[in-house]
Amino acid sequence: MDWIATLINGALLGGLYGLLGIGLALVFGVMRVINIAHGEFMVMGAFAAVIIAGMVPSVHPLLVLLPVIALLFVLGYGFQAAIVNRVVRSRDPLAPLLLTFGVSVILRNLMVEVFGADVRSLQVGNLSRASVGLFGINVGLLPLLTLALAVVLFLLLQWVISRTQLGRIIRATADNSDMVRLMGVKPARIYNLVMGLSLALGSVGGVLLAMRSSFTPFSGVERLLIAFEVVVLGGVGSFWGALLGGIALGMAQLAGLKLDPNAGLLYAHLLFFVGLLLRPKGLIAARG
Amino acid sequence: MTLLEVEALDALYGDLQAIFSLTFSVAAGESVALLGANGAGKSTFLKCLVGLIERKRGAVRFDGADISGMPAEAISRLGLALVPEGRMLFHSLTVEENLLMGAVNERPGSWNLSRVYGLFPALRERRRQMPSHLSGGEQQMVAIGRALMSNPRVLLCDEISLGLAPVVVDEIYRSFTDIRGEGTALVIVEQDVKRAYSAADRIYCLLKGRVTLEAVASSLSLADLTRAYFGT
Amino acid sequence: MVRRLLLGSIAFLLLAAALPAVMGEGGLRFLSECLLMLVMAQMWNLLAGYAGLVSMGHQAFVAIGAYAAFMTSIHLQISPYFALPAAPLVCAVVAVPIARPLFRLREAYFSIAMWVFAEILAAAANKSVWLGGSVGTPLTTSGMLNFDWFEPILFWIASAMTCVAVGGVYLLMNSRFGLGLMAVRDNDLAAQSIGVDVQHNRFIAFVISAAGCGLAGAVNYLGNLLISPLSAFDVTWVVNMIFIVIIGGIGTIEGPILGTIIFFALREFFTDILSLPGGWYLVAVGVVAVATMLWAPGGLWPLIRERFGVEPFTVRRRPPAQFTNSAEGKL
Repeated sequence: MDWIATLINGALLGGLYGLLGIGLALVFGVMRVINIAHGEFMVMGAFAAVIIAGMVPSVHPLLVLLPVIALLFVLGYGFQAAIVNRVVRSRDPLAPLLLTFGVSVILRNLMVEVFGADVRSLQVGNLSRASVGLFGINVGLLPLLTLALAVVLFLLLQWVISRTQLGRIIRATADNSDMVRLMGVKPARIYNLVMGLSLALGSVGGVLLAMRSSFTPFSGVERLLIAFEVVVLGGVGSFWGALLGGIALGMAQLAGLKLDPNAGLLYAHLLFFVGLLLRPKGLIAARG
Repeated sequence: MTLLEVEALDALYGDLQAIFSLTFSVAAGESVALLGANGAGKSTFLKCLVGLIERKRGAVRFDGADISGMPAEAISRLGLALVPEGRMLFHSLTVEENLLMGAVNERPGSWNLSRVYGLFPALRERRRQMPSHLSGGEQQMVAIGRALMSNPRVLLCDEISLGLAPVVVDEIYRSFTDIRGEGTALVIVEQDVKRAYSAADRIYCLLKGRVTLEAVASSLSLADLTRAYFGT
Repeated sequence: MVRRLLLGSIAFLLLAAALPAVMGEGGLRFLSECLLMLVMAQMWNLLAGYAGLVSMGHQAFVAIGAYAAFMTSIHLQISPYFALPAAPLVCAVVAVPIARPLFRLREAYFSIAMWVFAEILAAAANKSVWLGGSVGTPLTTSGMLNFDWFEPILFWIASAMTCVAVGGVYLLMNSRFGLGLMAVRDNDLAAQSIGVDVQHNRFIAFVISAAGCGLAGAVNYLGNLLISPLSAFDVTWVVNMIFIVIIGGIGTIEGPILGTIIFFALREFFTDILSLPGGWYLVAVGVVAVATMLWAPGGLWPLIRERFGVEPFTVRRRPPAQFTNSAEGKL
């Protein structure tokens, strides 16, 4: 029974992980760029949430999500427009990788200097302790809400991508960015939008994670690795796969912690690393 | 009335000069063929027209306005549409979504989904399929339909008969009648001399990036044309 | 060419031998740090600039090497200096089995997989009682060291390593192996078709790169007399390697040298002269690195080389695709 509770909570954690990963998957799917700074942006969102919540203590912490999402969208748009767009068309695949790596270091250390290295968390009062009885198991309310929010956002994203003209344009740009120019679309503008969307979605995960556990300016690495593992486990290019990947990772994480409370993310990383080496489906390059 | 005009165009593709001092024009409603073997510079020329080649010199004028410095996105809004070599359909979009992409510019005109399906009935049945499931000829129809959806004033067709069965090509060339009926000018790039000869009012021959012949089709014999094509 | 290298090395080593006579311990320490960082950068450059594999987990080898040396010294009760060879050895042993599976991964996946690898080892080290857990291990055999000669000896070791690293990479790249490696970087399919053993060349580069970093890490922590997972597995190690190589010039031998100079100049400027807290210099270095990537993607060395026409170490490879403003993309 205890194990079932662990697995269920792991699945709920998976919703959160899925939110961390979906942004990364989006950017990679459209631009073929892995944004190494993804984690740092999520931590910035968490800091923003803490600051905003501090300014309006009477407002429910969950509502803080709204301005944070807007802020991260703008940051993502600007980041893409000013920096990443310059290397997106580069034929050297190392360029975007190293560039976003550099930006991640800059952001990380800026946050250390501006916010300090102290541990922070987003206080949500009773919400963090509330639980709901589900088939005789006590399930945290916040994790349940998180999963629900994740599913809603995934559905929303799915709807935008597959049923709107914007989604069509995004998919077409991902397929052939030159051809799409002949239809009057500026690929750079689409990339800005997608990066904005990516960071906005990621910020939801980042803020919810900050409600669940604490963070420091150095927490970005952890978030990036989780996001990356989620995307890879779920199958690169699949959005719902990211959610499933998140759930798998969440379960591995909590099961591992149950066996070994000091392990941190060790078992999640191990699962990912071994899976990657044994069965890199879709990741095998044309390399010899 | 000249719609599209090119004067002394030089273009570089990578580090090589592909086009040398090319002069060219198309009038409204006219059909012009551009003939030449592989590597003659035909595709490069079309890409220059639509704004995909940056390293070029010379003048390109559309409706009197200089478009040689304009980006491709802006040129597309003026009414210049390309059916590219290799079709270049969006492989993650359905047939219908590919067609709808052509209408993103929202240019006024009479082409819409039902008219395109009227022109290419086979596509109506396959509207929700992915392009990879279609035959070569059907894919070509989607590419043409996509270009038509932008209500172009000039339609540029790059080697649309390549790799297709003659029967299929016949059908596609038949559709040109309707297209021309709208007053759309046609620029047809072809390797097939006979095809070009039959469909065009005027013909240009391109050899190694230079124009070797420009004439009204009816004033030429097929033999003249073949000679110019092979550069003898 | 080899003669020039030999003469240069001898001159460098003579200089290094004499320096402790005039320089105090603090200065020697600083120089050692610079040289060790240069060695690590050259190793990272060997893998990234020449073999085309960007590792974001090389801190793992720094840590493995250091821990190997510490444990060897402590458990075999031998002088730490004699324990140093364990560092590259153990790193090579670790690198060998993971190399080929990792090579199957495409660019970004390889990079992040290396990072995850480092995180896994860091977590394991944190939990390992034998390694001292999260607190780490002091070098209990430090009693065997003569502290009058401690800094000079470390400096000499670092100098020798620099000589071997720079000279070695230079010779390697001028050899058939090096040519093959560069071919692999530029186009592995084409390289294969002319008979270059892609996997083999990458493998060698990977193992050498790991071993070199391991030894450098061991010497560094030997100097600290203490090792802990937090410090040894800190991603900052690979951050520094990457920034140095990018700023200096990826895929060149002079590049990491230039990059190291710039890196430490910036560090000293920000921490000593401007007296700002430690994070700011990393921000500054990061900004320089990002700016270099955007406006001088080959690094600063190629600019200097073009400007002044100097080419001390003539083997360099041009990255296969520089940024171009060409619009001839996928159509």
